[in-house]
Amino acid sequence: MIDLIKELTESYGPSGREEEVQKVVLKHLEGHIDGHRFDPLGNLLVWKKGKSDKKVLLDAHIDEIGLVVTNIDDKGFLRIEPVGGVSPYTYVGHRVRFPKATGVVYYEGETPEEQKKNLSNLTFDHLFVDIGACDRKEAESIVPIGTFGVYDSYFYENGKYLVSKSMDDRIGCAVLVEVFKNLKDPRHTVIGSFSVQEEIGLVGASVAAYDFSPLLCVAVDVTDSADYPKGLKRHAMALGKGPAIKIKDRASISHRKVVELLEQAAQKAGVPYQKEVLTFGGTNAAVLQRTKEGIPSATLSIPTRYVHSPSETVSLNDVEGAVKLLVSFIDLELEL
Amino acid sequence: MYLKELTELDGVSGDEGRVRDFIKEKIESKVDSVKVDVLGNLIAFKKGTKSNRKFVLAAHMDEVGFMVTNVEDDGTLSFAPVGGVDPRVIVGKHVRIKGEVPGVIGYKAIHLQKRNEILESPKYENLRINIGASSKDEATQKVEIGDYVSFATDFRCENSRATGKAFDDRAGCAVLMEIIERSERFEDDLYFAFLVQEETGLRGSAVLFEQLQPNLALVIEGTTAGDDPGLPEHQWATHLGDGPAITFMHRGYVVNKKIYESILQVAQKYDIKHQPKRRTAGGTDAARLAKTGGGVPAGVISVPARYIHSPLSVIDVDDFKNTVSLVGKILEEGEGFAR
Repeated sequence: MIDLIKELTESYGPSGREEEVQKVVLKHLEGHIDGHRFDPLGNLLVWKKGKSDKKVLLDAHIDEIGLVVTNIDDKGFLRIEPVGGVSPYTYVGHRVRFPKATGVVYYEGETPEEQKKNLSNLTFDHLFVDIGACDRKEAESIVPIGTFGVYDSYFYENGKYLVSKSMDDRIGCAVLVEVFKNLKDPRHTVIGSFSVQEEIGLVGASVAAYDFSPLLCVAVDVTDSADYPKGLKRHAMALGKGPAIKIKDRASISHRKVVELLEQAAQKAGVPYQKEVLTFGGTNAAVLQRTKEGIPSATLSIPTRYVHSPSETVSLNDVEGAVKLLVSFIDLELEL
Repeated sequence: MYLKELTELDGVSGDEGRVRDFIKEKIESKVDSVKVDVLGNLIAFKKGTKSNRKFVLAAHMDEVGFMVTNVEDDGTLSFAPVGGVDPRVIVGKHVRIKGEVPGVIGYKAIHLQKRNEILESPKYENLRINIGASSKDEATQKVEIGDYVSFATDFRCENSRATGKAFDDRAGCAVLMEIIERSERFEDDLYFAFLVQEETGLRGSAVLFEQLQPNLALVIEGTTAGDDPGLPEHQWATHLGDGPAITFMHRGYVVNKKIYESILQVAQKYDIKHQPKRRTAGGTDAARLAKTGGGVPAGVISVPARYIHSPLSVIDVDDFKNTVSLVGKILEEGEGFAR
């Protein structure tokens, strides 16, 4: 599974530009699904037929946060704006990867005092990108305005943890792929939605379930782990203690019955799990539950340190636990 | 060109009737059918020669403005904004209530302001509309709580520049009307959606999917220019005179890649002046269309306008004409567009 996670997290897929990652997902799902299609927004929907007439939709968003080029100056330097919730600080001195170039991100300042001032009140208007171009024309030919970029970051194993950009939410995609690989003759029909444009407002998932009307939905996404120095107060999530069953975040309250079923599934499979209450944030469950006449929905989270940074950190133990939990979940009777 | 008539009509969000009636009357005989839906959207239909796709061209009829919240004892009116209006741009301006009663928004004279006060932004709580009434009784003969208030700005055009109010988004409505003027049929089934309540949260467009199940949409807007002296060039969103602005991403939606690139290709193919929109702030009905029903991928093309959401904005008429040409050429591409 580590190779899959490495390949998925190192792929390029900012919101609205998810094709490369979807290809990786499809490659790994080959032989494990009964069919797939892309919906009008570009969500990749896959399915495997089950014995019952019940349908379960599992969602993971396939996009990642990023940057987009908004201006190019005479000397070939780029100006950028964020795609999704990106802190400008994560990019200072770091690199951004565009499809045809990699650039260094740095900030303006004409005096040391101004540099200091800009750094302490940093906005994207202070940042620029140097892709090594000599002038506007050269830069425009490589990264025209409207080109999307992502952290230039790579996957590595940090002790027992896995570190990369875009664990949010390629780790969810990896979980879904592994679940499909483990479904030999599923009890219920399982639909996988690899949803686009989550990071800029839960766009893809708003329409992903529309044609299927599933019995219930489970979004698999990351949640903030609080187990680091002066980490978030009031939050319990920690790495290595198993996947987290979300009770509530700022955008949704998980359907009680789905939460109970997820707990049952964990217990049945002998998977340790955590319960999650996040005082901020949101996942695709928020819009899945509001589709059509309403769909009971919940989120299964992978606790993650340093979310939305180039070095999002997860524990393989939690990821494998999430796969086992979901396989066990699909084998429940799923009476709501 | 209907820019003058359209921008001189008052149609703040939720009060689009005057604009809708005008458009309806002008287009009725030129399309196959026209309907007004429950929310007040005007939807005109023109059948295609192939009819394999349902293509929506959308523009919103509403503009930002105000609503009367109270009639005060002294005959002045308290009011609140409808949509996003910076209170700094409204003091000392003429307004029109219910499309007929003239009024002014005043502010205390500079003599009465302390030095530090001059730099402060006025607050809606401290602003009133004066309609020439000297008492509550006198005022309530002409207006009541809940009445809509619009800027009272005449349209003017000199050389290639035009000034007026509500280019956001009467410019889009005018583009759609120009397209409707064309007598030929295009390959796709065309729905012209003149939408309500965009400025208060993309509301009218929220009900299009269930009525039409469109395959794709183009949202035609009047958008921020930003090419004014207060901003360095690299922070401009668009520049007047550089042609229609094509959006790759805005709040809550990354424009479908195929649609974005196809718009650019058509513009290049026919050598129509155009520019990318270079800021991602602000949203349009495209975000709502993407997120409703089974999802409608949408593109956004805009006429750049300086000083939008104020009593007076400025457009370049050539940008408007180029927008009409670009949208027309896109339709002529037929099923090849964004395929």
